[in-house]
Amino acid sequence: MKRLLFVLMLILVSQAICRRPLHVAASYPYIADLVEKIGMRNVRVWALARGDYNPHVIIPRPSFIAHVRRADLLVISGAQLEIGWLPPILRQANNPYVQPGERGFLDLSRYVTLIDVPASVSREQGDIHPEGNPHFYLDPYNIPLLAKAIAEKLCEIDPSDASYYRSNLDEFVRQWNEKLKEWKEKMRPLERVAVVEYHKNYDYFLRRFGLPIVGTVEPLPGIPPTSKHIEQLESVLQNHRAQFILQDVYNPDDASRHLANKLGMKLIVLPHDVGAVREVDDIFSLFDEIVRRLTQ
Amino acid sequence: MTDILLSTFLLSVVLLGMHSFYGIEVIKRGIIFTDLAIGQMAAVGAAISILFFDGEYLFPVSLVFALFGGSLIAFASKRANSHEAFIGLVYAFGLSGVFILLSKSYHGMETFQKLMASDILFTPLEEILKTAVIYAVLGLFLFLVYGKTAGAVRDFIFFVTFALTVTISVRLAGVLVVFALLVGPALIALKVQKGIQLINAWIIGVIINLVSIIVSYNFDFPTGYTLVFFHALLALGVSVAPVGRSKEIRPGT
Repeated sequence: MKRLLFVLMLILVSQAICRRPLHVAASYPYIADLVEKIGMRNVRVWALARGDYNPHVIIPRPSFIAHVRRADLLVISGAQLEIGWLPPILRQANNPYVQPGERGFLDLSRYVTLIDVPASVSREQGDIHPEGNPHFYLDPYNIPLLAKAIAEKLCEIDPSDASYYRSNLDEFVRQWNEKLKEWKEKMRPLERVAVVEYHKNYDYFLRRFGLPIVGTVEPLPGIPPTSKHIEQLESVLQNHRAQFILQDVYNPDDASRHLANKLGMKLIVLPHDVGAVREVDDIFSLFDEIVRRLTQ
Repeated sequence: MTDILLSTFLLSVVLLGMHSFYGIEVIKRGIIFTDLAIGQMAAVGAAISILFFDGEYLFPVSLVFALFGGSLIAFASKRANSHEAFIGLVYAFGLSGVFILLSKSYHGMETFQKLMASDILFTPLEEILKTAVIYAVLGLFLFLVYGKTAGAVRDFIFFVTFALTVTISVRLAGVLVVFALLVGPALIALKVQKGIQLINAWIIGVIINLVSIIVSYNFDFPTGYTLVFFHALLALGVSVAPVGRSKEIRPGT
C-alpha cells in the first residue's frame, strides 16, 4: 500500500514537473498580472510593454517578436490601444495560432462596454477612435469581466485543467469584490468632486465613482496642449471649479502644473497600469494606489 | 528568431550599400545635414497625405516634397555661401511644419510615426528585396553615369537620386538609422588611407551592423537605436583617435 502511494505520488509529481506551462504573451502588464492570477502554476506570462510608458507609443525590442512567436496565447487590451505598435510584431512573429480570430488570441475590449464610441465615423473628422475610449481597464468593476474572459479562454485552450482555472477565477472574484467594497467606501466622499484630466485615461474610473470631468489638458487625445486650449480651459474652470488635475506618469506635466498653481487645484499623478509607479506591483495595488492618491 | 535577424541584417546592408556612396559625397561636399533636411521634407509630404488623403498616396506625396527639398538645397548650394545654415533651416521648416499640420489630427502624431519611421525590425522581406533591386539599378546608373558628368548636371543627378533614396530608406528604417548608416561608415572610410573609400565604408558598415544586431538581440535593446549607437560610437572614436593622421604628423621619420 505504501509503495503504491509512493508510485502514485511519483507519477503526480513528475506530471506536474513535465507539464509544459502555457506560454502567454500579454500586451500590457495589467493583463499579464490577471493571466498569472487565473492561470497560476499552469502559465508562463510575458508582458510586452512596460507599465510606466505611454501605452499608445511602445518602442519594440527583439524579444517582443520572440515572445509572440512562441506564445500559445496572446492577450491584448484591444480597442486600438495597441494599434501603433503591435500589428508589425504580430506579422513578424508569424505565429498562426495567435493571429486575430484564432483560438490563441484574446481581445479583452470585447468583454466590456466601451464609452465615447462615436455615433458615426466620417473621414472629415480625421482619425477618430472608431471603437471608443480604450482605457476601460481602469474601471475596477470591469476587472472581473476581464478575469472571466481570460479564465474562459484558458479553459478553451487547456480543457484538462478547466476546473483549476474556474476555481482560481472564483477565488480572484471573491477577493476583488471585497476590495470593491473598500474602494467604493473610500471614494464616497469624492462623489461630485469635479476634476480635470491630462489625457482621457481615467474616464471609466471617474464615471464609476461619480466624479465629473470638467475638461482635458490635451486639446485632442495625443495632441500636446496649445496655449489657446489652455486659455479656454482656464475660462471654463473659472465657472466650474475643479479640485484636482489628474496627470499620468508619462506625459509632461508642465501645463497641468501651470493650471494647478494658477487656479489653486491639486495636481495628482496617477498610475495607469501595473508598474507605472513603485507602489503598484499587481492589479490590486494598482487600484489601491489610485484610490490612496485621490483620497489622501 | 534568426529569420527576423537575418532580414534585419539584410536591410541594414542594403541601406548601407546605397548610402555609403552618398555619405562620402555629402561629407566631401560639407552638406551632411542634407539627409535630415530631405528626410524631414519627405515627412511633410507624409503629414499632408495623412491629413488630407487619410494616409493614401503617402509615397508619391513624400517623394514630391523630398525632391522639392533636394532641388532647393541643390539650388542654394550654388547660390548661398552659408549653405549649412540653409540646410538647417530646411530641416527646421520641415519639422515644425509636420507638428503644425498634425496638431489638429486625433492621435495623428502616432499614425505619422507609424507610417514614417517603421522599425528596422519589422520590414517584410519582400520590401527589402524590392529595395535591393531598386538600389542595385540606381547604383549601377550612378556608377556608369555620375563620374562622367560635371557641374549642374552632376549636382542635379546627385540631389534627385539622393532625395529618392532618402525617401525610400526612411520609410523602411527611420530617419536616425538612415543618418547613422549614411555618415558613420563614410566618416571612418575617409580616415582610412588605403583602398577604395566606398569599399572600405561597406566593409566597416557591414561589421558594425552585424555587431549591433547581435548585441541588440542578446541584450534585448531596441534594434534601430543600437545600430545608431554603435555607428556613432565607432565613428566618434575613430575621429578622435590618432590613427591615420600619424603619417602626416611625422613625415620626417
